[in-house]
Amino acid sequence: MSRSVWKGPFVDAYVLKKAEAARESGRNEVIKIWSRRSTILPQFVGLTFGVYNGQKHIPVNVTEDMIGQKFGEYSPTRTYYGHAADKKAKRK
Amino acid sequence: MTDLICVGAISGAFGVHGEVRLKSFTADPLAIADYVPLTREDGSGAFEIQITREIKNGFAARMSGVRNKEEADALKGVRLFAPRDRLPQLPDDEFYHADLIGLSVFDTGGAPLGQVKAVQNHGADDLLELIVPGQSSTVLLPFTQAAVPTVDLTAGRIVADPPEGLFD
Repeated sequence: MSRSVWKGPFVDAYVLKKAEAARESGRNEVIKIWSRRSTILPQFVGLTFGVYNGQKHIPVNVTEDMIGQKFGEYSPTRTYYGHAADKKAKRK
Repeated sequence: MTDLICVGAISGAFGVHGEVRLKSFTADPLAIADYVPLTREDGSGAFEIQITREIKNGFAARMSGVRNKEEADALKGVRLFAPRDRLPQLPDDEFYHADLIGLSVFDTGGAPLGQVKAVQNHGADDLLELIVPGQSSTVLLPFTQAAVPTVDLTAGRIVADPPEGLFD
């Protein structure tokens, strides 16, 4: 069952505090968080979070497309190394 | 830059009529047929392949020089390579993983940061996984204009301006 709309999106309070502090400082830094369950809010767009995957913090640069998703979705807990072959990486 | 790139592997015979089980490692699995003729790791052989059908974990394919099941079985475990120069040219700011892996990474002051081990994508930006000297675990560097301002493939180096706290 999905979450009731009247409650609003869930975000751990410390994530909001850290994001606000980072935005005010204007520094280019990775905001380390452990809260994989927190929802990505519009005010997080443009910030880089280091989302813990149980081993290390995976950098996640938040874009508009990610709003409404959870941080944990972008920080997998298992790593699969495939073959490079003809796979491409795009620098955004 | 490596001259040969692994694009697939043969995992055995398929059926009794000389077809092989082919595993494709390319981004679009069917694109392996675009890079024929494929060679072994040492550059020997020139296999033409013709994909006949999709099967579990890959494709069934006919290969040049393979006429029966015994010859197909003999190729089990062979990895198939294509020359790097057969990959199509990419626009600016797009790079093949194979070209990025192994490059040395320096900060804007010229101090070495590490070496690219792999390129990952977890749904957000692409990430360069770096082996950092003196650290047991790897570090993930966002592959963005801000964090990676320069990629010099000919010199084999990347200049990075990592966000604060990334290497802690």
